Parts: sequence; structure tokens; C-alpha cells
Amino acid sequence: MAHEDRAFYDQLADRGVSRRDFLKFCGSVAAMIGLSETMVPTIAAAVEKAASSGLYPAVWVNGGACTGCTESAAQATNPDIASIVLDILSMNYIETVMMATGHDADKALIETANSDQPFVMIYEGSVMTGLEGHTLRVAGKPSLEILEDIGSKAAAVIAVGSCAVDGGWVRSVPSVGAENIPTNPDEWATGVSQYFAAKGIDTPVVNVPTCPVNPEWIVALVIDTVVLGGIDENGKVTDAFVKKLDAQGRPSLIFGQTIHDNCPRRGHFENGEFVYQFGSAEEAKGYCLYPVGCKGPQTYTNCPIVRWNNQASWCVESGSPCIGCGDFNWVDQNAPFLGRFRRVGLGTGNAGSGFNPAVVGAAAGGVVVGALAVHGVGMKAAGRIGEGPATEPMKDYDRKRAAKGGDK
Amino acid sequence: MSESTGKRFEIDPVTRIEGHLRVECTVDADGKIDDAWVSGGLFRGMELVMQGRQPADAFYISQRICGVCPISHGHASTMSAESALGVTIPNGARLVRNLIEAAEFLHSHILWFYTLAALDYVDPSKAIEADIADTHALAEAAGTSGANFKAVRDKVDALIKSDQHSIFTNGWMGHPGYAQDMPAELHLIGVAHYLEALEMQAEASRVIAVMGGKFPHFMTSIPGGTSWMPTEEKLDDVLFRLKRVRDWVYSTMIPDTLAIAPFYKDALTYGAGTGNFLAWGVFNNEDLQMENRYLPSGVVMADQGLTLQAADPDKVTEHIEHSWFEGTSGQKPSVGTTVPPTKFPGYDVNDKYSWAKAPRYDGKAMEVGPLARMIVGYLNDVTPVKNIIDSTLTALGAPGKPEVLVSLLGRVAARNLEAAVVADWSLEWVTELIGAVKAGPVEFFEPITADTGKGAGLWEAPRGALGHWMNVDGGVISNYQVCTPSTWDLSPQGPGNDQDRGPMEQALIGTPIIDVERPIEAARIVRSFDP
Repeated sequence: MAHEDRAFYDQLADRGVSRRDFLKFCGSVAAMIGLSETMVPTIAAAVEKAASSGLYPAVWVNGGACTGCTESAAQATNPDIASIVLDILSMNYIETVMMATGHDADKALIETANSDQPFVMIYEGSVMTGLEGHTLRVAGKPSLEILEDIGSKAAAVIAVGSCAVDGGWVRSVPSVGAENIPTNPDEWATGVSQYFAAKGIDTPVVNVPTCPVNPEWIVALVIDTVVLGGIDENGKVTDAFVKKLDAQGRPSLIFGQTIHDNCPRRGHFENGEFVYQFGSAEEAKGYCLYPVGCKGPQTYTNCPIVRWNNQASWCVESGSPCIGCGDFNWVDQNAPFLGRFRRVGLGTGNAGSGFNPAVVGAAAGGVVVGALAVHGVGMKAAGRIGEGPATEPMKDYDRKRAAKGGDK
Repeated sequence: MSESTGKRFEIDPVTRIEGHLRVECTVDADGKIDDAWVSGGLFRGMELVMQGRQPADAFYISQRICGVCPISHGHASTMSAESALGVTIPNGARLVRNLIEAAEFLHSHILWFYTLAALDYVDPSKAIEADIADTHALAEAAGTSGANFKAVRDKVDALIKSDQHSIFTNGWMGHPGYAQDMPAELHLIGVAHYLEALEMQAEASRVIAVMGGKFPHFMTSIPGGTSWMPTEEKLDDVLFRLKRVRDWVYSTMIPDTLAIAPFYKDALTYGAGTGNFLAWGVFNNEDLQMENRYLPSGVVMADQGLTLQAADPDKVTEHIEHSWFEGTSGQKPSVGTTVPPTKFPGYDVNDKYSWAKAPRYDGKAMEVGPLARMIVGYLNDVTPVKNIIDSTLTALGAPGKPEVLVSLLGRVAARNLEAAVVADWSLEWVTELIGAVKAGPVEFFEPITADTGKGAGLWEAPRGALGHWMNVDGGVISNYQVCTPSTWDLSPQGPGNDQDRGPMEQALIGTPIIDVERPIEAARIVRSFDP
């Protein structure tokens, strides 16, 4: 092992990350960026090499954000966020963490964007279009100006979190019909790719939804773009990288399957073993959360596999139904969150607006609804599940089983 | 106060905080701030998006107010639904919520002291001059934990001397406002623990993930109780992680605080703010009453000295004379409105200059946060609070004088002392819950049957008093208002204009500034509120 490699692993060890942890992490990265397991040593070597050579310039800009995606990034573990910002990226601007403040912070952003070196921009939060951009003011001006200026110079924008992808929950404010709020959601909040399309900015955008974003995905994408050459030395995103994205600009290996597809509780769904009441014996047994509103069947992310907070758990494992935070227009699409799956496929939301993810999401959701309907018919024939209202009562089958003391 | 020089500076964006903030100040001939305006830069419409949705939806959506304190928003929201619809949660759910909230407090306080604030007191360009053997000796003498100081020094040294400075780019290294007599070795200890803290804040977050699915934005404290059903195995996991965090707070964070504080003792003499304090209280006892919480509710008014009054939510009003909102000023949150203008009126410190409203209690601007909670707890004779504050006052050379805490340094210290107190309690709660689960079936959820009512969830985020007000009509939300801790602390001027400044504005006034181009002292005041 070369001297610098040892230094790399020593530093990881200081932060509690063993070589084994790191290689496991590289394996998870391989799966997310479309490389086989045999490529793990190559990924590890590339990361080691990147860590011992110059840092790749990057900026992290917050739009209409809660800072939850930065917070989430700070929960990355193997390697941790310190390894990313000290060994791989030169994160010259990141409001929540950077040492500089005020004008000197702003200067760091502008200098990075205006230098000859290509840089990556990570964007968190909704693109705040309301009141001509004055619903978000940064450095004495509407932050839209920053997005346009810096975004148009970046090699690529990684839009992290559902807000940056399509406006997130903020995009749902207009649907309420409140006083002085525009009725067209595009005039209140939107996503980076829609905004760029409207402004004719052709910087490639990678969309990474969920609320907040899962840090494992950010790290995988950083490695794929700046370490493994997804962005070439001229600062151009390669065709090979673009091919890994789906029609909505999402990495298809991360967002290609539903939560339901990979859910550890799937067996209970197949067996008709459901939770109808929180705090019940069925909940204690870890049964399927579909009747209490789980949106796993329509939500395309690999959460059950990567899980959250260094694999400590994830939503469904904690006994909560998935609320579909990775869906497009997720709040209007999925609330009421504890209501059983009834608005999907109806095309609610923002039909007619530019990029119109709701229709795409609804179309994809429609297929799943169809599949579930067919599945439900079969189960009804078997006497195990009926057509239910939004929150349906317990079924006879479950009541009898509960009366017998439940499953032993 | 000497005459104003008209010298003016602004910090925009204020970094190392949650959210978007601008601070503008003028400086007098003595180099002290003589006026200040604090401007919140973002309006998204959180209170509006709740209208017409179901009460439980607010638990999920309202967490998106703040990615650093989503747990507290979730809890305040779910409590407002329970208060509106008349549900009392079972004891098991109370313990689970206390634990999740405690984990967030630990996460947030560690993150604040190290990741957000430390670089205002610890200078990486001094740290690289440290002698390694001396650093180890100093760490031992200060009673703080060791680290691979050499690796950290070499890493930071290489970064500073390279052409890419990453997160240190354009930082105010070498600023004369850093304590000039603080040894390089203590700077290095600070930088090493700054990096180590990343793992400890993440460990505290993992406690939330185990009990709540993920962090930020957790899933389980729904109205009625919790959807998390603990097993002994999961609780052992929680206990192990909490012990690890608790031990680190005692072995590293508290000794670091006590080691660095003496070099910034001048910070005991400014940054006091309003001297008015408000706490709604946090961490429920079995009776779920706010005045009986582990950290109880209470009010302290500057004109009454350090004496305690009961906190009355009915005395809260929100004002918009200097905010960009339209509508009626001075409404109570239970009937409040949030209406943006149809055209942006412009930024003008003499008129409207913020997206934050100006909340007032009994007409007064109030400071909220760990300092408010620690003072209220101290006056309430909460034993662990009293003990740790008394011993810290002795260490700072001011025994029996809690009033010195009303300062910049006091605000910083209060947060770290609170972390120690909460860490100890968290171990009690998890032990109690393990005992209950071993003893037999524990209730975690009480279904809600009512569909109409008005309620409030009054609670604390790590950064201070938090209120959610919810009206429910026929099963859907008919009005929703939130008063966040940042709204209290970052309040613009109220109806009394320049005689009625917000707490951070008042704390800034009087702060000495060495260099108006690089006002590190003002940044310290701003960050001390954990905005």
C-alpha cells in the first residue's frame, strides 16, 4: 500500500471508519451508480487517489430550504462529511458550515464560479419565485439571481431533496388558495430543472428527491461525477453518466424501484397481515402498514436498502407508513398521509405547468395502483381483504386472529 | 454611548446558522455597535400549507420548518392536535417522546458548539502552530479527551497551505478578535474536537433514527402517541448510543467549554440582550403539565430582577409593523393570520426589513433558548440545573452570581451545560422505559375520536420556546400558526419602533468591534442565539 493510502485509512480510522466499513460503502456506491461488485477495488482506489490529490471545487447553495438536506449530509458516515470536504471536494461555499461569513462568504462563491476550473453546484431548497424572487433574499438580492449566475457556470447541478427537485412542500402552498398567494404554483416555488428550462440555462441537473435527501446518495453521486469521471476534465457531463439518469433526471438505480418492491414487510402484505391501528399487537409484530396510509407502493426510492442514519433504521422499520416524500409534488400527492392510498393516479396537483412532474408521477403511480387493485381482487376472493375506505376498519380475519391472541 | 460615526456594516449572508439571515449595524466613535437591524430573509408559507389538511399531516409537514430542530416542531404540532382534540397520551409515549427530544437536544447542542460556533473562538491558523506533545499535556491538564492531534494538525496545515481551502475559504483566520493569549495547543484541541463532534452529533441522530425512522424529519410521534413499538433489543441499542454521547459530553464538550471560556471572559460584559426570558418548558413529567416539566415553563422580566413568574400563553401577540406582511398587527397566534404582500415593499431599516414577525409577551421582546431555560430552571430549583450552574459560576470566578450569565459567554455556556443535564436525564428515561417494557404490556397510542376543537402545543426547540396553534373544524385544520424560537430572538422592531428592538438587536448594541470589515464579535453575538 502506498504511503498516501495508509494516511487515508489512518484518517478514516481516526473518525471511527474501518477499512472494512469503507469497502462496504464502496460496494453500496457501486450498486447505486451501476457498477458491478468486481469494481469495488477500482472505486476504492479512485477515492484513495482523489483523497491524495487536489480537491475538486464545489459550492452548496441553499434556496428556500429548511437546511435539512445539509443536516442530512452531515449524517453521512462511511466516509463521513469531513472526509468529503477535506479529502475529495473543496467545498468553497456552504452557508451552514463554512468558516467565512458575510461579504467574504459571498466572495468565495463568486470566485469559485468565475475561476477557470470546473465546479459542481449542489442546490438545496425550493427555487423561490414568489414576489419576483424576494420571498428569499440573500446577500441583499433575490436568491434567484444567485441560482441563475452560479448555476449557469457550473459543470452540473445536483438538486438535493424534494424542494430542489420540484419545489417540494412549498409548491403546495398555492393549492390552498390563501390570500395574496398566486394560484399558479410556478409563481411561488419550483425546482431547479424546471427553472433552468424556463430560463434557457442548459447546465445538466441531477435530481435527487426525498425530504430530506439521503446522504448516501449524495456521496455516491459525488464519487460518480468528480472521482470516477462522470464529469470529464473539460467540465462536461459525459454521455455515459447521463444514460444512468431516468426521464426526470434521477439516477435510475436509486429511484428505479418502489419501496414496496424491497420492503422487508412485503411478506406480511402478501399474507394479508396488516396494521389497522397504531400501538396495536399487529404494529408490535411489524405487519404491513398499507391500511394506515403507507405510500411505499407508489414511491420510487431504495430507502429499504440503504436505510437512514448509517443504516440505523428507516421509516417503515420504525412503525411508520411511508409518506412518499420522494414523490413529485409529494404533499399534495400524498396527504392525508395516514389515509389509505386513494389519491394516487388521479392526476391531482399541477397539470399544465412547465415540467409537470405530477403527471409523470401520477402515470407511474397509476400502473402501481392497477397492480394493487388486481392484487386486492385476488385477496378479496380469498376472503382476506375487502374494498376499504381511506381508513378502513379491521377485517374479520384479523379480528379473529387477534381474539386468539394473535400469531404465536 | 458616544456619538454615532455613521460607520455601518452588514453581514449577509450570516453563515453557520439554520436559514437565511442578514444583520446590519452602525458603530459609534468608541467602536461599539450603537444600532442593529436583524432581517429574516425567507418566507415559504408553512402556516398556509396546513389549511384544510388533517391534523396528523401537520406533524409531518411542520417539521420542514427547520431541518436542525424538526423533532421539536413535530412534537409541538402533534401536541397542538392532541390539545385541540382532547387526547392524553399514554405514559409509554411520553417516555419515547422525551427520549427522541433529548436526542435532538444533544445532537443540536453538539452541532452548535462545534460545527457552527467553534470557529468564532478557535483559529485553525493558530492550531497548526501547536506542539503535539504540549497539546497532549494540555488536554490532560484540562481534563478533556485526547485525539490524534498530529494527524489533525498535519491535515489542516496541508489544507491551509494548498490552493484549495474548502470550508475554510476566506475565513477570518488570524483575526485579532481571537483571544491573543490562548495557546496554539488549545486551538488545536478545539479543531480536533470540531472534527470529532461530527461523529457524536451523528450518533445522537441515530438514536432518533432508531426510535423515529430517520433524522432529519422523523416519523413516529403522531397525534395520540407514537407508532414506534420498542423492543428490549432496540432499547438496549438506544441506551448504548445515549451513554456514548453522554460520556462524550462530559469528557469533551464540558471540559472544552471550561478550558476556552477563561480566554473570552470579556464576553461576560456584553451581549446581554433584553434580560427578559421566556420558556414554555420541555420534557414532560407524568402529569404532562408545562410548569412541572423537567425543564419547566416560566418568565423572567428584566425590570423585576431574577424573579420567576408563571408563563401565560395568552399574553403572546405578533406584530408586523416592520415585517413585510400585511394584515392586522398585534394578533394572538390562536386567531392570527399570515398574509404576504402582493408586491415586495423593499428593504428599509427605517420601515419594513424582515420576513420575521415580532412576537411580544405582555408587550415585551423576550429572549428564548437554553439561557432562558437554565435561568428559569435555576429559579425553579431544578436540582441538576442548580448544581451545574453553581459549579460553573465558581469556575468562572463569579460564585453565587447567576446574573453574570446574562451575557454572550453566559448564553454560550448555558447551552453546553444544558446538554450535560439532558444527557443524564435521557439515561434515566431509557432505563425507566426498559423496566416498563420488561414488566409487561405498555401502552403507546390513544386513538383520537373528536374532530373539532382549538389547541396549542407549547414546547421547546433546542434554540428556544416554540408554539404551534391549531384549530380543527370537522376533521380538518381551519387555522394554523407557528411562533418559532428564531421569531422571538430574531424579531425585528415591534410597535414601539426603535424603543422596541428584538432580543438579538439589543444584544448586538454595545458590542465592541475591532474591524468593521470583519466584524467577528457581531457574528459571535448572532450565533450565540443559535438562530
